[in-house]
Amino acid sequence: MSATKLIAGIELEIEERGSGRPLLFLHGGDGLQPERPWLVALAKHYRVIAPHHPGWGGSSLPKWVGSVDDLAYLYLDLAASLDLSDAVIVGNSFGGWLAAEVLVRDASRFGACVLAAPLGCKFEERTKREILDMHSVDSQRLMTALWADPARGVIDYPAKSMDELTQVVQGREAFALFGWKPYMHNPRLRNWLHRIATPTLVVRGEQDGVIGQNYVQHWCDRLPNASSANIADAGHFPHWEQPAAFTKLVADFAAP
Amino acid sequence: MMRVFYFSEMAYDPAWDAGMEHGSMRVNFPSSNFDPQTGHKLLNRFLDEYKLCDEVGLDIMVNEHHSTATCMTVSVPMALSVIARETKNCRLLSLGSPIANRPDPVRVAEEMAWLDVLSGGRLEMGLVKGAPYEIAPANSQPARIMDRYWEAHDLVLKALSTTDGPFNWEGEYYQYRNVNVWPRPVQQPAPPVWMTGLSASTGRAAAERGHIAATLISGSIAKPMFEAYRTRANELGWEAGPDRLAYAAMIGVGRTSEEGRRRADQICGYVRTSPVVYEPFTNPPGYNTTPANVFGLKNPAKRAFVSDRQGNPVNHLTASIEDFMASDTAFAGTPDEVFEQIKSFHEWCGGFGNLLFFGQGGVLNHEDTCDNIRLFAEEVMPRLQELNKGAPVSVPRVAAAE
Repeated sequence: MSATKLIAGIELEIEERGSGRPLLFLHGGDGLQPERPWLVALAKHYRVIAPHHPGWGGSSLPKWVGSVDDLAYLYLDLAASLDLSDAVIVGNSFGGWLAAEVLVRDASRFGACVLAAPLGCKFEERTKREILDMHSVDSQRLMTALWADPARGVIDYPAKSMDELTQVVQGREAFALFGWKPYMHNPRLRNWLHRIATPTLVVRGEQDGVIGQNYVQHWCDRLPNASSANIADAGHFPHWEQPAAFTKLVADFAAP
Repeated sequence: MMRVFYFSEMAYDPAWDAGMEHGSMRVNFPSSNFDPQTGHKLLNRFLDEYKLCDEVGLDIMVNEHHSTATCMTVSVPMALSVIARETKNCRLLSLGSPIANRPDPVRVAEEMAWLDVLSGGRLEMGLVKGAPYEIAPANSQPARIMDRYWEAHDLVLKALSTTDGPFNWEGEYYQYRNVNVWPRPVQQPAPPVWMTGLSASTGRAAAERGHIAATLISGSIAKPMFEAYRTRANELGWEAGPDRLAYAAMIGVGRTSEEGRRRADQICGYVRTSPVVYEPFTNPPGYNTTPANVFGLKNPAKRAFVSDRQGNPVNHLTASIEDFMASDTAFAGTPDEVFEQIKSFHEWCGGFGNLLFFGQGGVLNHEDTCDNIRLFAEEVMPRLQELNKGAPVSVPRVAAAE
């Protein structure tokens, strides 16, 4: 079930499940789908704390919030208000970018980090696109890039309620707000990855069409204490497509 | 009074077939489909046609688009600079500068002031949001686009009207420490401001500032927008005359009905090609309002942009000239017929004082285009003057500035 918490003047809707070692889960651009099995699977091992980012779900997006820096400080404030200690921070896609932005600032409350298909860094030369331009491809190509099996990601929008659709639309707008330009990355972040001493596992779905294996390798080369793992039959959302395999990877890496 | 601004998209129609086959005329349609020598001839031809408008007493409008076969003009001030030198009397309507896509609003103010000085105060200054598919070529941020638009708008107007500068501007989106525009415009405090839009909210926003509100090619869009403008002006204590409202239509005039309809039909080729854009560029997130996007998700099939006076959708990709006449997208026929159509529309929508005469949409040849311009100026325009006889001249009462 979700609860709303006021952090730095922002109303954050937070899904919380399970007990044990705290695990802060930062979702990607498609938002948090609380009924997906991955959340249930993770909650068997951890106290999962999964906020909806400002602008997504039921979380507010005040006008003064407009950059990934704001979100990084927000989650540091959230971690402090929950008095997290030795927590696991898990971020997928855009949420992986956020996790890295949090940790380069202050990693003291986190004992382990899992970046699943992270965005957020630019490693190669300027004409090389390392992150698929998800906003310049048609929906069919996008679904093929995001999912090993696109059928798993199909959403029947007309069947959703107006409130749900409003949240979908606002989430899409927020995703653009935080990630449009430079596209889904902070040009300066790669130069500070050395600050993340936290043991980090970089996970990639083998059919991910948004980032490639080279991109994962660049992250691992820059992070002082990182390793990588792949998940078969998964695209850009490995935790959605393979919740059991994903949960096992996380639990093996960061003891619950 | 009815002012008529002739307008040409300066389209590059030789690439249209290839664009239709490609499935997109814009953004991702490679420029190998553009032949520079053909473009050279066409651009000069279109500028000749603009020059003719001044000779026959029409005013002139120029717009801009990017990365597209539907419009070669990439910079309104560049085109208007040429036209300003080649004309003597016409008003020069920039419609306009897409200020939310421009990184440097002070540069926009400089260009507009320079044009106003060059033309001796003939500039009409449109500050526009720009179409959704302009976001990608500009790589501008679609989220909060209207917040950025309004900040740019305020900055452009302050930059044009400040004569004791420099001044400081440290806003959310733009930062300058020494704004001091030289030369300053002839028309003080600033040239007349125009906005474009498709919604009642644009009508209200324009009324709150006393700007001229322009809309295009669908009567069913124009009517509620004009009504919203007049209502908002009333609420603010002033009466909006027709001089505050503008409507753009495809117009084909001929010596026979058939000739006028053929010309309008060819001009409407523009409407049939213009919306053909690769899907992801048609609706960047944040560009449209949340309710509009919710409606789109709930009703994926309903995407008609133009509808007739009864609200029946008109598919512009397949519409006939008669369909376009039914939606007030086009006025076509002999001078008498065109006058009667404009008069009927004018009555139905409550009146407007600026007609944007879309008279070259691509395939219409030079002789037809010139004859269309002459016939309209000689046979239709004089009669339009009776439409707004006795109408009030607006004295806008602008909502209090911050």
